[in-house]
Amino acid sequence: MLQLNSISKSYNKGAIKAVDNISLDIRSGEIFGFLGPNGAGKTTTIKMIVGLLKPDSGDITIGGVNVWEEPLKAKSMISYVPDSPEIYDRLKGIGYLNFIADMYGISKDKREEKIEYYLDMFDIKDAMGDIIGSYSRGMKQKLVLTGALINEPELFILDEPMVGLDPKSSFNLKETMRQMRDGGKTIFFSTHILEVAEKFCDRIAIINEGKIVTVGTMDELRSHAKERETLENIFLELTE
Amino acid sequence: MEKIISLTKTDFNVTFGLSSMAYNFKNKKNRWQIIVFGLAMLSILPSYFLLVKSLDAIYDIYSQIGQRPMFLLSGFLMAQITVFVFGILYVMSKYYFSNDLVQLVPLPIKPSHILGSKFATLMISEYLTSLPVILPFIFIYGIKGGEGIIYWIYSLLLVATLPVIPLVLSSILVMFFMKYTNIGRKKDLIRTLSAVLFVVLLVYVQFKINSMAQKALLQGDDFLANLVRDSNLLVKNLGLGFPPSMWASLSLSNYLNMTGLLYLLIFVGVGILSFMAMMLLSEGLFFDGLIGNIEGSASKGKTRRRLSIRDSTRQTKPYLALAKKEIIMLFKTPIYLFNSIGGVIIVPIIMVMSAVSGGGGDMDSIARLLETKPEFVALAGIGFITVMGMLNSVGATTFSREGKNLWIQRVLPIKTRDQIIGRILSSVAIQVLGLAALLVALAFVMKLEISMIVLIVVLGLLGSVPMTQLGMVVDIIRPLLTWTNPQQAMKQNLNVLFGMGLGILYAGGIGLLIFNLIGRIDISFVFVVLAGIFVVSTIVLYYVLEKLIVKQFEVLE
Repeated sequence: MLQLNSISKSYNKGAIKAVDNISLDIRSGEIFGFLGPNGAGKTTTIKMIVGLLKPDSGDITIGGVNVWEEPLKAKSMISYVPDSPEIYDRLKGIGYLNFIADMYGISKDKREEKIEYYLDMFDIKDAMGDIIGSYSRGMKQKLVLTGALINEPELFILDEPMVGLDPKSSFNLKETMRQMRDGGKTIFFSTHILEVAEKFCDRIAIINEGKIVTVGTMDELRSHAKERETLENIFLELTE
Repeated sequence: MEKIISLTKTDFNVTFGLSSMAYNFKNKKNRWQIIVFGLAMLSILPSYFLLVKSLDAIYDIYSQIGQRPMFLLSGFLMAQITVFVFGILYVMSKYYFSNDLVQLVPLPIKPSHILGSKFATLMISEYLTSLPVILPFIFIYGIKGGEGIIYWIYSLLLVATLPVIPLVLSSILVMFFMKYTNIGRKKDLIRTLSAVLFVVLLVYVQFKINSMAQKALLQGDDFLANLVRDSNLLVKNLGLGFPPSMWASLSLSNYLNMTGLLYLLIFVGVGILSFMAMMLLSEGLFFDGLIGNIEGSASKGKTRRRLSIRDSTRQTKPYLALAKKEIIMLFKTPIYLFNSIGGVIIVPIIMVMSAVSGGGGDMDSIARLLETKPEFVALAGIGFITVMGMLNSVGATTFSREGKNLWIQRVLPIKTRDQIIGRILSSVAIQVLGLAALLVALAFVMKLEISMIVLIVVLGLLGSVPMTQLGMVVDIIRPLLTWTNPQQAMKQNLNVLFGMGLGILYAGGIGLLIFNLIGRIDISFVFVVLAGIFVVSTIVLYYVLEKLIVKQFEVLE
């Protein structure tokens, strides 16, 4: 579903290599966790996948479509939730959701059904008539998640999605992601919460200093590491 | 004092982006951009020199009737009124709507310290407004009159302190205004509408005072005799509208004797006193107007109103949805509302009002023109609306206004065609308001024929499209996305200035062509040519924009 072929990205004229020759192949119908310490290159990689940063070299395909050659086609298959929910403060919640749905060309009936469902799930329906500027960080995060889910993406990309969510919403989001996976959709997300990755992901990649240090199922990861008890041990060993 | 200095330093740095500018200059990738922009700014100079040349002629007229100080008064009045009007806008956004307030208010510093530092930064912004206005007057008067060294020393002092009094006045006015309008959910709208009304009223009163003073002056039997006897006569009479301007001009025109020194001391002294008064007042006023704003932006949806999802969802075409989003953002952000929408409504009203209150002369000439050549009024109206297409700043800030939210536009599958059409439509919608204001204002002054209305509406809106596109071209090449206060995206965005430069060249070129065509070909054909030019430029600029947006959306980081 998602293929990264030898992508690299550097800043300051090559002085800082944020992402260094990464290749990944993420299959349809899997939940893929992307782990790494701060500044390892997780967000840079995600931004390249969704079309916010252009790789210096290598290419990215989504469902066989090259992200930089046919951007519209690729973008219509994905939804993206960034790590900080910067959205239009002056719009009302419902105005934002309608705007997103319009950009994906979603019919009235379908958007009504999805919006009702996810707003109930995240418990923010009552705030839809208020402007987004009056929301808390968590409420904004839930609104962005709702906006990203109404389009039923083939590939759902999330950068640190659990940050700012209350336990119930975090649980609901994980349930939704599982249902999506069972329906054949693909989920790619970065996280700092190792427990979530360990229990919840089909496969995991760990990135450190711009390079993938390991990738595989939890069992495969255990077989590569000396300290095999927990993902935390493996993570600490590989990113030292 | 240390606190004020430290606050001012930080505020300077943030407002004028000094650190980021230094970083950009070190980072060679952006260096050429700064240089290109420097050159672009230079391109505005020719039109400025034309204006200065016409001032030179005005000086000669005053000189001939022995009223040279009147020339200085015009300069000081113009500069101080500009500072005052811009001051109201600057003060409102700087004191009450900037993002740093959330951090500053909880710090253990007095309101007057915050205000003092913000005032200092505004002084710099106001110099950028006042110097281009006042300096030509000072130089023309000084050089043509061969004035001595004391004139130049006095000028330096006066020019340096020129923005103080009008800026203090606008600060105090805004502080009272914000304190007593800090009410209800719709306070942003209430405030903007009242501010628009206030500016219109102010300009009206100004015109009224001037025209009354002119009439009173001209009616006296011994007017001409007095004019010869007292070279300061006009200044003393017409300067009453705003005494500080009168003090400044009398100080310069009498710099050789004690009167000049006295007026200089009055000007500077009143400036210092008024500043101190403002600082004192701010202790009681500033936070009262401010706290409500911060509360409003941090409340967690306390005023929730349940709405039905069924009734509030509907499918709209992407370009219409984009236009709608742009229009909502323009209306709901006070700075945008006042600058773009307020601007397109205020300017035509002021223009027409100045014609009405300027005495009977202007009215007669307009009426006469209308009788003989109504097409000229239509042409002027079309030109006016077309130019407003750039002055409304909607096109030249359309991508900059997205700021940190631009990621949304780049991640969603939005066709470039929808981006262009949606953004143009939002500007055209604002233009419709300006058009309505112009037509209503004109209807008070003259009888409008249907054909003239149709011509102004159709060709004015058609002309607004390439103007908006020119602004968009500038803005997509160099969008300002890192702002912390929406004012930076619109008022302090160089793209607006650069867009205006391009707009003046474009409109000036067309104006020149039309001017040459009139008399040579039938007037109705002139309108056809005009429509043709607008349509062709729209199509050409569409393709230019399409290429630029695709390219920039890929590389912006």
